[in-house]
Amino acid sequence: MMAIDSGAASAEHTAGQERCKARCAGQPLAAKAASGLRIPADLDSLDLVARFVLELGRQGRLSDSQTYRLRLAADELATNIVMHGYRGASGGICVDGGVEADRVWVRFHDDAPAFDPRTGMKAPDLEVPLGERSVGGLGVFLALTAVDSFDYELVAGRNVSILAIHRSEHG
Amino acid sequence: MSFDGTLSVSEGIATIEVKGELDASTAPRFHDLVDQAAEQGAVRLEIDARHLGFLASAGLRSLVFARQKMGDEVRIAVIGATEPVSRTIRLAGFDHSIELIDA
Repeated sequence: MMAIDSGAASAEHTAGQERCKARCAGQPLAAKAASGLRIPADLDSLDLVARFVLELGRQGRLSDSQTYRLRLAADELATNIVMHGYRGASGGICVDGGVEADRVWVRFHDDAPAFDPRTGMKAPDLEVPLGERSVGGLGVFLALTAVDSFDYELVAGRNVSILAIHRSEHG
Repeated sequence: MSFDGTLSVSEGIATIEVKGELDASTAPRFHDLVDQAAEQGAVRLEIDARHLGFLASAGLRSLVFARQKMGDEVRIAVIGATEPVSRTIRLAGFDHSIELIDA
């Protein structure tokens, strides 16, 4: 397995990455990673998430479509953590990821109140006119349908979500 | 996140050209353009998405806002969206209410 760090992360995040590695170390997680980045829980951080995932897709030799899907899911999940997890409060998000023989994965840790984002999913109600439709849960719906697997667990009080794309599938 | 949007209105047709990436960090700017288009009483809204590289749910919410603010009689079209962008619009079921042209 190859795990990557975001070479695109700004210098201000370097210290945070070290904290992330330290805080994430030793936890009984479903997959291991050697490094990651820690970002402030705000919408400006979405750009860093995007760059991290795009680099991961490149290293994992995913197709453009696969990388787009992984990025979309990561963007929606990060947005969900910022908007509905921390609800505007300050906080941090650890992001790491890796390339394995059969998949490329991205993992998020956060210290917002325990919440399984999958429970917030709401499929679009196509019977309701668009202007009257509730769009709550749409982001999680897009995230869940974009990736091949979306796992969540609460580990020592932290929310841990893992998104993955199967490398064996193309497109 | 790079995003650039411009609004032009001619003969009742509002055209918003969007370039870059639309997610929660950039959608408020798109939302403002939609709001301005609605304020000008356009009878048709065309979103030129040929150079839109990424679309997340926050951008879709602005389309819902456009439909709510402009009313059902205003036709809304997304023109030239790339395959992943148009796929997201269809997946969300927005293509029932918004035309996808050249996508």
